[in-house]
Amino acid sequence: MSTSPENRDRAIVAWAKDRYPIAKFAEWAKHKTVPVGPNAFWYYFGGITLFLFLIQVGTGILLMFYYKGSADTAFASVRFISAKVPFGWLIRSVHAWSANLMILSAFIHMFSVFFMRAYRKPRELTWVSGIALLGLLLGFGFSGYLLPWNELAFFATKVGTDIVGVIPVIGEPIMYVLRGGEDVTGSTLPRFFALHVALFPALLTIFIAGHLFFIQLQGIHEPGTWKAHPEQRKTMPFFPHFFMREMLLWLITLNILAVLAVYFPAELGVEADPFAPAPAGIKPEWYFLATFEFLKYMPAHVGPMEGEEFGLLIISIGFLGWCLVPWIDRGRNPKLTKIVMAAGVAIIVFLSIMTYRGFAA
Amino acid sequence: MRFLASALVIVSAAFGPVAWADELDEPEEAVDSAEIELPGGECLACHLTTDDKLGELWKADVHARAGITCVTCHGGDDTKADKDLAKRPGTKYRGALTPRQVVDSCGGCHSDAEYMKERKPLLPIDQLEKYWTSWHGKLLKEGEPKVAQCASCHHAHGIREVNDAKSPVYASNVPATCAHCHADAEYMREFGIKTNQYEQYVESVHGKALLEKNDVRGAPACNDCHGNHGAAPPSVSAITHICGACHSYNAELFLGSPLAPAFRERSLADCVACHGQHEITHTSDSWLEDEPGGACRKCHETGDEGSELALYFADSMESVHQSFDEIDGLLTEAETKGMDVTEAEDYVEAARQGLMQARTLIHAFSKPVMEEKLIEISANQAAALEAGYSALRGLQERRRGLAISTLLLLLLTIVVAIKIRMLPPTE
Repeated sequence: MSTSPENRDRAIVAWAKDRYPIAKFAEWAKHKTVPVGPNAFWYYFGGITLFLFLIQVGTGILLMFYYKGSADTAFASVRFISAKVPFGWLIRSVHAWSANLMILSAFIHMFSVFFMRAYRKPRELTWVSGIALLGLLLGFGFSGYLLPWNELAFFATKVGTDIVGVIPVIGEPIMYVLRGGEDVTGSTLPRFFALHVALFPALLTIFIAGHLFFIQLQGIHEPGTWKAHPEQRKTMPFFPHFFMREMLLWLITLNILAVLAVYFPAELGVEADPFAPAPAGIKPEWYFLATFEFLKYMPAHVGPMEGEEFGLLIISIGFLGWCLVPWIDRGRNPKLTKIVMAAGVAIIVFLSIMTYRGFAA
Repeated sequence: MRFLASALVIVSAAFGPVAWADELDEPEEAVDSAEIELPGGECLACHLTTDDKLGELWKADVHARAGITCVTCHGGDDTKADKDLAKRPGTKYRGALTPRQVVDSCGGCHSDAEYMKERKPLLPIDQLEKYWTSWHGKLLKEGEPKVAQCASCHHAHGIREVNDAKSPVYASNVPATCAHCHADAEYMREFGIKTNQYEQYVESVHGKALLEKNDVRGAPACNDCHGNHGAAPPSVSAITHICGACHSYNAELFLGSPLAPAFRERSLADCVACHGQHEITHTSDSWLEDEPGGACRKCHETGDEGSELALYFADSMESVHQSFDEIDGLLTEAETKGMDVTEAEDYVEAARQGLMQARTLIHAFSKPVMEEKLIEISANQAAALEAGYSALRGLQERRRGLAISTLLLLLLTIVVAIKIRMLPPTE
């Protein structure tokens, strides 16, 4: 047999087929389909989020080659990455922008799933694992923000961990553990670094695996009207039709990232000084702005509770309700479905207004 | 029962020293407490009821806390409640002290090395000696009662430590304490000296640093130049040493410069001749210009050697400033376009430090000395400019790279799109 590339490929496939159930996988892939319809565009955001996460992993590993996670060296090492390391500025900027786009994409994915009512039986656990994934992504954002050890990040972390401390009973111990003491100091940085590069990635991998496993097991949710009108049912094969379209969007996303990194590279600012007074205009990242702004509107006291405590209670109840949506709206009561959908719109309006006010403040 | 008694004996023996130690601690705690028993014996029975203020002042007084009584300064017998008995002849009762008595009374203890060593060993004991060298002391000796004595600045009762912010001699309170008399034109009329020092000082660079920025460790108050207890106007020859106590390098440069002997010859008061006295303001490069009112024009004529040197200094500073303007513009442009300019900023910082040193080096009044520093400044400025231009070049490279990568991604996108169109239609 000649050793042409084609023959070599065939030989590799034959070798693999001999050892692994590749034919079964190919058969499964051939029959995997994705619904086609007016809402099909929104299906791509799960994949975009995953793509951005993979970019995060890649750029994150590269950043770790040079980053030094202690209060004495962190700022200088990030400065070195931005100024001296070849393409260091690009890697750092892509990491920062990709983090933001990933959270945005995750939010879009979550709300699209919500408004398509794809959370309903049998996909309750897919919904809950998705919320856990979003929570982890927010944790990534919060812990990563402090790592350059600049002034803005330092004080934003102080404010953020202060909010954690407001939670009754468990808040203060959690805050103490997060900070590595009573206040945000040099001891806080290694903790956030450990969370960012060890604990959160491990948890995220488990939850992504679970999330994808549920999707593979149950398939992608199909519009509810197809049950009544099976003639409307239209699907496309996942491979290669959906996959190639997804790739198209990945390429566009990659290009958007490159443009953002070149025209709006990640800033570094001034090195954090724990003894300096907080500068004016301290704000968290955009995805925490709504919560931050909402808590600012709380009065000093609401009944026997502290205002911030009350605000956090409301947010917690809302969050719990959001997690329990698959059990609240089971599709049996159209009136209840309408109320739940209206609540979803109200949440988007509320988050948008609060975020805007946070930016404008 | 015997067992119980034995146990009590053992417990007492074990805890006895602890109880004794606690008793030892008690008097110390009482001293620290705000509710100390005021020394003063029977004097307080009348004086605290008739004058509340005196009681408050005496409570805060360092002497009261040290257990010194009224009779130490005023004489009398504080064991007698009866006023006549307390002030009877033979008790050395003096009542309110005259200025001279104040000085002698305070000096009696404060210049006694043996006495002070036991009570406040770190406090100097030369206040009285210095006081007699001051204008205040000299005039008091001549019988002038209006001059400042100990109580004028430290107060009679309610005397606090110098580092107590409520003390009238705390650094930031000193100017107002001196001004109490020296800014009072009516009070000072017979002494024939100016009374605008405080007014000028408040507006001066030193006054603003002390009174507005509260720089109590760095900024000088009146006493830092004139002396505390030996307060007197400094002599012309002492000026450089006085200013040099803080501005040591400037003083060293000046004393080694050709201007120092020339100033001596003309009886010019070194630093004061150019910078002024109490009104000292921030220096400005415009002082070097060959314009009426310029510092150098006070002595030099246009075209003479000194004037030429001043013009050289002025032109050099102007040129350094122009370079800074160019660098600032460049770095701002690079930074607003998202480029990292921290390396360039390091060079700018070094150049700015150099400029500050160059301003100090003016006091050497030497062209070669200045030239050396200017070479260093311009090297740092050139490096900052290069770093700035390099950042802008880097920006161009980034944009070129982005254009190429966009093109490649676009091509790839088109290929994928064509592939998608070539796929068989969906069900």
